[in-house]
Amino acid sequence: MSTKDEKERTELLQGTLDMLILRTLVLGPAHGHAIAKAIEFSSNDVLQVEQGSLYPALHRLIKRKWITAQEGTSENNRRAKFYRLTPAGRRQLAAETSKWDRFAGAIARVLRPAEQESGS
Amino acid sequence: MRGRKRMLEELDRDIRQHIERETQDNIDRGMSPDEAHYAALRKFGNIARVREDTRGIWRFVLLEQLWQDALYAVRMLRKSPGFAVVVVLTLALGIGANTAIFSVVQGVVLAPLRYKQPDRLVMVYESNPRFPRVWISYLNFRDWQRTAHSFEQMSVFNLDKGFDLTSPGAPEHLEGKEISAGFFKILGVPLALGREFTADEDQQGGAPAAVISDRLWRNRFEARKDLLGQAITMNGVDYTIVGVTPAEFVFEGRADVYTPMGQSDPQYLNYRAAHQLSCIARLKDGVSISQAQAEMEGVQKNLDGLYPENRDLGITIWPLKQDLIGDSSGLLFVLLGAVGLVLLIACANVANLLLARSAVRAREFAVRSALGASRARIIRQLLTESILLAPLGGGLGLALAAGGLKPLLRLLPPDLPRAQEIGLNIPVLAFALVVAVGVGILFGLAPALKSSKSDLQSALKEGGRAAAGGRQRVQSALVIGQMALTLVLLAGAGLLLRTIHSLGRVDPGFDAQHIIAFRVGVSHSLTKTVPATRAAYQQLIERIRNVPGIQAADFVNAVPMTGESAIMPFWIGSNKPESLQAAPRIMGLMTGPDYLRTMGIPLLRGRFITAEDTTSSPCVMVVDSLFVHKYLPDSNPIGQTLSVGFATMGPCTIVGVVGHAKHWGLDEPGVYAMGQAYLPLAQDPDQWVQINYAGLSVVIRTSLDSAAIMPSIKNAVYGAGSDQPVYRVETMPQLISESMSTQRFPLVLLGAFAAVALLLASIGIYGLISYSLTQRVREIGIRMALGAARKDIFQMIVGQGLRLALIGLVTGAVGALALARLLSSFSSLLYGVGANDPLTFVAVAIALAVVAVTACCIPARRATRVDPLVSLRYE
Repeated sequence: MSTKDEKERTELLQGTLDMLILRTLVLGPAHGHAIAKAIEFSSNDVLQVEQGSLYPALHRLIKRKWITAQEGTSENNRRAKFYRLTPAGRRQLAAETSKWDRFAGAIARVLRPAEQESGS
Repeated sequence: MRGRKRMLEELDRDIRQHIERETQDNIDRGMSPDEAHYAALRKFGNIARVREDTRGIWRFVLLEQLWQDALYAVRMLRKSPGFAVVVVLTLALGIGANTAIFSVVQGVVLAPLRYKQPDRLVMVYESNPRFPRVWISYLNFRDWQRTAHSFEQMSVFNLDKGFDLTSPGAPEHLEGKEISAGFFKILGVPLALGREFTADEDQQGGAPAAVISDRLWRNRFEARKDLLGQAITMNGVDYTIVGVTPAEFVFEGRADVYTPMGQSDPQYLNYRAAHQLSCIARLKDGVSISQAQAEMEGVQKNLDGLYPENRDLGITIWPLKQDLIGDSSGLLFVLLGAVGLVLLIACANVANLLLARSAVRAREFAVRSALGASRARIIRQLLTESILLAPLGGGLGLALAAGGLKPLLRLLPPDLPRAQEIGLNIPVLAFALVVAVGVGILFGLAPALKSSKSDLQSALKEGGRAAAGGRQRVQSALVIGQMALTLVLLAGAGLLLRTIHSLGRVDPGFDAQHIIAFRVGVSHSLTKTVPATRAAYQQLIERIRNVPGIQAADFVNAVPMTGESAIMPFWIGSNKPESLQAAPRIMGLMTGPDYLRTMGIPLLRGRFITAEDTTSSPCVMVVDSLFVHKYLPDSNPIGQTLSVGFATMGPCTIVGVVGHAKHWGLDEPGVYAMGQAYLPLAQDPDQWVQINYAGLSVVIRTSLDSAAIMPSIKNAVYGAGSDQPVYRVETMPQLISESMSTQRFPLVLLGAFAAVALLLASIGIYGLISYSLTQRVREIGIRMALGAARKDIFQMIVGQGLRLALIGLVTGAVGALALARLLSSFSSLLYGVGANDPLTFVAVAIALAVVAVTACCIPARRATRVDPLVSLRYE
């Protein structure tokens, strides 16, 4: 990795991490390492989690009843803990996403008003 | 807890698997296994912190941590019991003293009065140009009752009315009050039994009725419910009992019996210029004190126009609570502040101990934070240890306060109001709790912040020596603070000690040794007429004079040092002032020919009263040297005439001058230093005899002590009538000693506080020097190896202590001066010593410096025995 890459990586805000976890689990139950990988992969390595910080976040989401943890068997036949999205978590994700979209849209309009005008 | 454990294990397994997977991914990308493992760990971050943070999410984590901290703290304290004992004892001393003093302040000043809506209760006083609050006259009171609208109700009472009970049971003198109708209703105190007086009873010719105290009810009537309607014979009159007060009821001194004011001696009630009564009133809702004041001033002005004796009389409306507490609240708050200083000193000691300990524990904290403990977590751990110590100290302190309260109450000045309301009640317990916890945080926070900040790396490397420099600065500051605060307390105690010392050397103007004063309730069967009364009293005093061992005896209407007084306006010659209310005042002492000899007052000029001065001879008076000095400095007083009183006596010829006898205590501050006139008892006008004689005391001079002489005196008194109680027996030295209680009470307390402060501060400076020596062993070893003599080392160390002490003294001097100024602002507290008395200040400063140096000598001596070889190897 180059220094430049390092700079472009953004530290995740706590709420953002929660949202990303929920987003990842929409695709199906996953264990901790898989969630971390998925987040890194889907954001093209731009958003990089210090992987450890995933675990407090997972337990926070369990406490809020947005996800559950279940014992399962992993790909190489080992017992592991799988995290699964609850219906409440799904609703939360929807709400957060639309809020995020509105917010991101607003930022975009502030930053690029001219483009918007010329595009319309 | 088992669920907890499983959750933790699962989390650990999760983390372990995560790292294994990441390692595998890395190997798949072509790293060597070792490289892959370390890259995975790096990417994961601080495992311990992740565990900690995750557990922080779990709900019971906070409680669990507290529990852990507490367990850990208990373990740590059990490992160093000496430390724990010193801390707990220090805190117990500080918290105990504070709780005890606060309980006094709470009971006397802060607690609301135990009456209904006490803030609506006021005292109504009259005022004259000389005194802002004087007692009121009954006729004026009746006029107020008719015309004033500011009050729901008003009631008048006298403070001190004696009743000689003769039936049922043995004769006994009772303290009582005459009260007008509505007294208990105004206070909002329901009687335990029966009712208070009706308006019909509260007037001349009304049926004699009495309300008695719970005590009397139990002692004389075995607490029988059917006592209402029964008779009690007092002062020769059969009163019907109509009510019993509740057990806890107290109002302005103890009283066992209440009778209707309206049935009192008409001579006295109907004399408008006799100001002898107090008036209590309940303000109507919505009426403020100033509104009532304004209305009453108008009422009083109208009376002024109607009655010449009311001229120049004003009104003062005064909140009841203020009336009861007087000026004791200020002094109590000063004492509370002083004891607060003791607590601060104690806290500084404990903080220093903790700091020294945390230096030793620096490595422990470094290890803990390396293992993932956050800074907040370490602070919390340390605070838990402090807060655990505080309640231990607080609990023990509370026990100390409970045990010490009784001796403290005995120490209280007898005139301290509401003393019976002092106790360890809920507000006091709450205070102790708040102080204990606050103190725990106060002494715990500084060391906690300090040690949690210590630099991790150097702490681990050097075993905690890195932060020592900064820590010692804090410790030195704490010791300097202790020295300063101790000086403040010492100076306060020193000033009061000097005051008591100066008072002890004051000449009271009479020979106080061997004087005993008491009262006799002369049988009412003997005082039915004026001539009989005169004869009965004459016979009584002669019987007493004949008791073997009595050197002299006579009556007087106001015994010096008791607070009894007879203040009256006067004028010399024919210069009768237009307004008696505005005229200067004199103490009019009514007495007999033997008084001067009894008291040992010197005769300076002319003669004293003799047995020949009677109603059939020209009226005479004797004045004292203070009177002559103030009003007749340049002329011969003998032969001039003097008139005294509203019910004027005189003009009488001045026949002699005697020395001034201190009347109000050994210090006679300001308004109380007034001249005295001696009026012959035998010349008291007939119409006042029965009232005046009833208020007389007997003073005797005897070389025997009170216990030996009083039985013979009682026999002599009973010989003239077995229903004559002898009461209020007091020796003059005892009275003088009590008159100094205003000063003695704060002296004993401030003295005790200063002693404790001195002890704590010397422990503090001793501890600091000892501690700094453990840090400097190697340095001392090097110095000695380089040739420093033991003497130099000794001087260096004592010098270090002395420097701290001196800085403390200079800082404390400012505070000490402020306290001295504060003490001297209380009337009649300091006597014979200025607030800036240099002797006191220099003496206490030297004393403190000597104690500090002595405390430093012990560790300094130890330092000189350091073996350079051993010390250089020390680590």
